[in-house]
Amino acid sequence: MSRAERHRLSSLHDVELASLAAAGDRQAFGELVRRHGSAVRALLRRMGVDASEADDLAQDAFISAFESVAEFRGEGTFGGWVKKIAARARIRRVQRNKQLRSRLETPDLTETPPPQDPGRRMDLDEALKGLAESERLCVSLCYGAGLSHAEAAEALNLPLGTVKSHVKRGLDKLRARLGSEGDATEERRGNG
Amino acid sequence: MAEMEVERALERLFAQAPESSDAGAFAESVQRRLDRGWAARRVLIGAAGLVGGVIGASQLIMSNLFSRAEAVSSDSARVLTSGVRQIAPQADWLIDGPAGIEAVWLVAGLAVVAMGLVLTRIIEEI
Repeated sequence: MSRAERHRLSSLHDVELASLAAAGDRQAFGELVRRHGSAVRALLRRMGVDASEADDLAQDAFISAFESVAEFRGEGTFGGWVKKIAARARIRRVQRNKQLRSRLETPDLTETPPPQDPGRRMDLDEALKGLAESERLCVSLCYGAGLSHAEAAEALNLPLGTVKSHVKRGLDKLRARLGSEGDATEERRGNG
Repeated sequence: MAEMEVERALERLFAQAPESSDAGAFAESVQRRLDRGWAARRVLIGAAGLVGGVIGASQLIMSNLFSRAEAVSSDSARVLTSGVRQIAPQADWLIDGPAGIEAVWLVAGLAVVAMGLVLTRIIEEI
């Protein structure tokens, strides 16, 4: 691709690039991948996927997105749309593992991990590691991929109440952790 | 932290994904996969068309269709000529002209091709 062509594509809005991609322009779709690839991979890693599998899943998600890009009408953001595709692909993959369902349905009663060293900055990735797998997945789906509780329940094939309680427990743990980090930051600001 | 505050903070933190250092390489690998899929699809369609064409042509030859078509054509040409003469006697120049009935067939053929193109375009638009 020439530099001029790359410059032209980089100046276009996501919706314009998506409509070019819908007409078969793979270069335009490449520009969308360049813009949103990192966010989609980061979401998958935050859902608990290891780095290489996250890249693999993100690639599959973008390929699926290209095949159905004509369905993207620009109601939400393109990044959000692909994140939903990626999150659902992740769920399908883990659902092949039958043990997951039982793990998700059983409430995890582990204690909230102790707050981190207050000197460290507020880190979502670290905070998410303190959640049980079910809580982490539900929180990531609802706040990272933008799914509603009902959509997450449908995607996970779980009762709505179960998803809501996973999210609630996850939020409580995150509040404790992020709150303590926030307080520590405020305290440092006050002392400084 | 209130629940709403935590929710907003979470949405904000999830949206702040760090830019990967290999973002360009990742995009290129996706594009390579797309290109491979595209090329494979074209080869597959081409091969399917070739096989279909060969089978169709062999069936046409084996069924002696051309001689049958010739007979049907001369019969229908007679019907068409008489039809055209009845409907528009002044169109005799077309049938009796230097090209004769072949010109009528040619026009009809072109009309069918044009209709095919229009139909293809409509399907593409849909």
